[in-house]
Amino acid sequence: MSIYAKLAYTLLGLFIVLNWGMLMSATFRKIVARVAGRHGIPFYQPWIDLIKNAGVRTTLSHGFMFYLGPVFRFTGAVGMFLFMPALFGSDMWSNFSFQGDLILLLYFQSFGMLGMAIGAGDGGHPHSTIGISRGLAQHAAIELPMILGVISLAIQYHTLSLNEIIAAQQGGFQHWTIFTNPIAGITLLLAALGAMGHSPFNLVKAPNEIPIGPPTEYHGTYLGVLMSSGAILHVIEAALFMNLLFGGATNWLEYIVKTFLIYFYSVFVGVVFPRFKIEQSVVWFFKIPLALGILAILIYSF
Amino acid sequence: MVSPIYIVAAALGVGFAIGVLGKLGKNFSGILALLTIGFMTFVSSEWLYAFYVGNQVPTYIFTAGFKPPISINLLMGPKEAFLTTMVNFIGLLGGIYLFFNFGRKGRNAYVVYMVFLMSLNVVIMTRDIFNLFVFLEISAIATAGLILIERGNRAVGAGFKYIIATSIISSILLIGIIFAYFYTGTLNIDGLVQAHLSTTATGGIAVFLIMIAAVLEMKPFPANGWGLDVYEGSHQGFSAVVSVATATASYYVLYKLLAIAGPVGSQWDYYLALMGAVTFIGSNLLGVKQKFARRLLAYSSIGQLGLLMLILGLRKYLGDNLDYVVLGILITNLFAKTGFFWLAGIVKAKTLKEWAIIRRKPFFLFLMGTFVFALIGFPPFPSFFAKWTMVMNLARQGGFGWIAVILIGSFLEAIYLFRWFGYAVKGEDTYKYDFNIRWHKITPIVILVAALYYAGYLTSQYTELGRMIDFIPLFFVLVLFAIDFLPVAVKNTIAILGMGTYFYFIYPDLDNLRLIFEVIFMVGGILTLIAGYAYKGKRSGFYPVAILMYAGLTGIIQAHTTLEFFFGWELMTAGSYFLIIRGKRSMPHALSYMLFSVAGAYAILAGFGIANIGQAFPSLDIMNNIQYFPNWAYGLLLIGFLTKTASVGLHIWLPGAHGEAESDVSPMVSAILLKAGVFGIVLALIGMSKSDFDLSALAYTLGWIGALTALFGNIGAVFQEDAKRLLAYSSIGQLGYIVFAFAIMTQLGWLTGFTYVINHFLYKAVLFLTVGAIVLRVGTHNMYEMGGLIKKMPWAFFAVLIGIIALSGVPPLSGFTGKWLFYNAIIEKGWYFQGVIAMFAGGIAFLYLYRLIQTIFLGQLKDNHRNVKEISIWFLIPIYTLLTGILVFSYEPQWVLKPLGNMIAQYFPNNGLHWEGSYAYSHLGYWTGAGVAATVSVVFVIAFILLKIMTRKAHKLEQFDIVFSGERPERPETTHIAYNMYAGFYKAVWPLTVPLVERFWTWMSDLVHETAGFVRRIYSGNGQAYMLHIILYIIILYFITIGGNI
Repeated sequence: MSIYAKLAYTLLGLFIVLNWGMLMSATFRKIVARVAGRHGIPFYQPWIDLIKNAGVRTTLSHGFMFYLGPVFRFTGAVGMFLFMPALFGSDMWSNFSFQGDLILLLYFQSFGMLGMAIGAGDGGHPHSTIGISRGLAQHAAIELPMILGVISLAIQYHTLSLNEIIAAQQGGFQHWTIFTNPIAGITLLLAALGAMGHSPFNLVKAPNEIPIGPPTEYHGTYLGVLMSSGAILHVIEAALFMNLLFGGATNWLEYIVKTFLIYFYSVFVGVVFPRFKIEQSVVWFFKIPLALGILAILIYSF
Repeated sequence: MVSPIYIVAAALGVGFAIGVLGKLGKNFSGILALLTIGFMTFVSSEWLYAFYVGNQVPTYIFTAGFKPPISINLLMGPKEAFLTTMVNFIGLLGGIYLFFNFGRKGRNAYVVYMVFLMSLNVVIMTRDIFNLFVFLEISAIATAGLILIERGNRAVGAGFKYIIATSIISSILLIGIIFAYFYTGTLNIDGLVQAHLSTTATGGIAVFLIMIAAVLEMKPFPANGWGLDVYEGSHQGFSAVVSVATATASYYVLYKLLAIAGPVGSQWDYYLALMGAVTFIGSNLLGVKQKFARRLLAYSSIGQLGLLMLILGLRKYLGDNLDYVVLGILITNLFAKTGFFWLAGIVKAKTLKEWAIIRRKPFFLFLMGTFVFALIGFPPFPSFFAKWTMVMNLARQGGFGWIAVILIGSFLEAIYLFRWFGYAVKGEDTYKYDFNIRWHKITPIVILVAALYYAGYLTSQYTELGRMIDFIPLFFVLVLFAIDFLPVAVKNTIAILGMGTYFYFIYPDLDNLRLIFEVIFMVGGILTLIAGYAYKGKRSGFYPVAILMYAGLTGIIQAHTTLEFFFGWELMTAGSYFLIIRGKRSMPHALSYMLFSVAGAYAILAGFGIANIGQAFPSLDIMNNIQYFPNWAYGLLLIGFLTKTASVGLHIWLPGAHGEAESDVSPMVSAILLKAGVFGIVLALIGMSKSDFDLSALAYTLGWIGALTALFGNIGAVFQEDAKRLLAYSSIGQLGYIVFAFAIMTQLGWLTGFTYVINHFLYKAVLFLTVGAIVLRVGTHNMYEMGGLIKKMPWAFFAVLIGIIALSGVPPLSGFTGKWLFYNAIIEKGWYFQGVIAMFAGGIAFLYLYRLIQTIFLGQLKDNHRNVKEISIWFLIPIYTLLTGILVFSYEPQWVLKPLGNMIAQYFPNNGLHWEGSYAYSHLGYWTGAGVAATVSVVFVIAFILLKIMTRKAHKLEQFDIVFSGERPERPETTHIAYNMYAGFYKAVWPLTVPLVERFWTWMSDLVHETAGFVRRIYSGNGQAYMLHIILYIIILYFITIGGNI
């Protein structure tokens, strides 16, 4: 396949993921509203928001790094998409996954996060710093079960290549990692709760207590870019766990169904459990997820 | 050749003449006395020279025309020539130093002084035991008289105790002589030796009495209160002479009489070693608690006597090297201790803290530094070579316990000497009085210092190993000392040119492994030196010590032998100590750095000693496949190197030392110096990889140490308020990764290790240089006092941004190369849990990295920083050079990693990684540095351009144009979230931040101090108690040596 065709398919995939992500976040808000007894937004609200944000006439800037924050965030989201195969077994939809393996993905997650954090910091808003300090603390805690789970998988499959991990899970749901290596699977799913950032792990954004801060400072076009990045990341996070634990996807329908279920697993947990304080959430990851993660490796050590 | 009898004759003759010609005046008498001592020195040194040249045989001098045993005979051999020369030389300098002090007491003081020296000469030369007794008495009486040249009760008391004590000792000696004569019928020492006295029970009593007297002359701990009082109570000028000249003679008495006790390896050797060990450790332990300078010197002197006694007792182990070792220790002690006492006489500061006044005259500080480093046994002083030879020989013969004793005693000595030196260099100088320089007092000291350096050089040239040492860098250091008066720019240029030229000449001879480290040391050194142009004025003393450190660093790289390596290692330690202590609040941290370094160096020395067993030549290759006690040898070497890499447990010195150092020193000691420890670890591990033994437990332990270091270093960094301390803790963590990666001991592990080594050098230098330069601008280390500096220092901000992205391991910068290799290495090796801990530490790194950039550059600009400027261009040049390095290494990692892989293939099978273009493939995964970088860059640029177009009309906001909680901030302080930034995280992880290691070392330190404080109570100052000590000592020794065996 020529590089142009490859590029075209990749961009098309990105477009699908973006729109799917926007739809997913609208659905999320709808569900949360319904649980709370509210009517909620229409499912097309994100597109309206995007158009509105792009159309806002006044744009303000706190400085160069403030401006780079969304760029980092967007690059981080797109990069995550690029370095992960979208559909398994398809050369067209494999994106740029030939450039790196699972480790690249794990660490590239932080690219957007760190850049965004620095950009928001440049805004000088104290709430930004508070939110970021919590976010980083929680992120560090999530890393522990996450790495344990990933290493358990790497030992299980003797590879760090995401394509090969998916390949090993083909041939029926009984080959999915969640069934072949349930302990690592559960560990990763618990880590996924933190990674997706819904309640009880949403003190980072803390929608109620910190209603302003970055979202206020980043308005208009910036907000549009951030929300688009967020939409992509929602899907990509879910897709990562899909690929690791649930056999990946061989067509877009499977992709959409699986990412939806994984994403909504975290949403449903979120609407049931109240928010943790940051020290609670950090300690939470050091308990059951950590113990399971250690177990997941121990069973491969003997 | 002048007969040595003229030494005696001249002293006696002139002594009588002064009495007769007394009317000629004090000064004339004094000059006559000095001339006489000069003549004595000439006679003995003439003999020494003849022996040195090699055309002289030992000669007996028979007195009164008869041969022994009828008459007394003296012997002038090489040892006698050397010792009398030393005694007379020190005596001559002492005479000059004390010229006016004697003068004030009248001309008889000169006579007594001459007689004193003459008696020591005879004590050294005589072969007749009764004659020995007589001249010991003469010297004791003369000493008591000379103690009294100092006024005051203290001196009188000291003199009195001295007389009583020496009387007891003489009586015992005399009784011993009587017994010996009774059983053998001779008083000649050689005759007594042949009589084999100790073979009979009753002869054993004679030997016991003679030996105990000789031992007591050496002031053994704890029966030495009288000796301490003499050193402390008499005039400094004379304390020095007693401390060294008398001690030298006493040592030789013991040496001669030991022959009577039995041949080499007899029981008395062992007792002597034991008493020496107790004295060496005991005195130095008590010194630790001491606050007064002269008392401290007294403890040190007695400690050295103990060491000499110990060495003599260990002659079985040392064999032919005994004389070399004794010479090294003795000569250092002679010159350094004398000089130190005399310096104390000039500075006149009583307590150690008061010695802060010495730096008002920097040259005096140089003198003091020379003495301290010489006494501890640093290169290039003779004691360094002596200690080396001693440890090598002891290890070879299996005397490991004795090695421990010697090193522990030396370490205790290092504690108090470096604490004292720290007060001198950095203590608070709030004292009103000053000290004067008198030329007749300073000249002898300067002569001693010059002699010390020259003696060091001569000692090194005496052995084949020593001759291999490259002294050129050290010479360059001396040149820099000499031109220290020049302005900073000139010296900086000379230093850079010097390092550059040296590097140019040596780099073709280096293999790839050494080249990596040498580039970090030398190129890194030059880059950090460039930052030095930002400084104004003279920056006194900076360049010699900086180059001293680099001389040491290049020394360990170029070393072919373990001696060269250790030589370089110690030079580097000394240089870095001086660099670190230059910081404003560095005194305690420099001390702790030095003590860990000294202890580490001793571990290395012991390790080399064990490695050397059974080897013909101590080249560095002996570290490969050590045959005897390999776990101990490698373990000791690794512990030594781990002190330098500040691994957990041995890390407490680092945060303060690096955090408080000057702006351009921090990167030198962090980004560059720490790699010396890594280089050592790499050498040790290479050796282990070639071992026939299973050393995996050692590597496994090392791996855990590395992983835990990474974790605790990074957690420590998160909670720092001080930017430089944050970076310092970060270095601990990073070095933890490096240690861990090398401990894996596979190709991938080592590739990871080297990647981290290169990366850490690059980004830590960038971060420390930038933060250091910012500190120079804003005048504080505290991050919460900064903020918003991105507006003022965009270039610095960009540097830190790249630095933290690289450090955090986020793709596409070079930190990720390390992370990727790391995962592959740990999974391949199977070290999952250690690996996870290290990786978890990596996640924590985000916290402190964000804190660093946020609280310094982002957030709110403080009012007092509204006019600060961008950091100095002289800092920006090296910073951006290093940034280029980071970018190249990020985009084209294979340029470095491919040759590295081939190099590592020498040690480990080359199967971990292979390259196809820019694609790296391991057994587990794949990744391309260039590809990822290109992809990310393209997306980034597109996003950037799009956003720029869409927000082209963006309105620029002012600082306080933010709204939160319905408030509009007015002051930056209320809005800048920086202090205690990770309070929430702290609540979660505080159990991991409990400073258990600090508490452990504080506890250890308290233990040593409390023990010293407790034992010190035996020195009540009461003369009767001191005499009782002597008696008890004799009784106890009797039970130990003879007991009921008669």
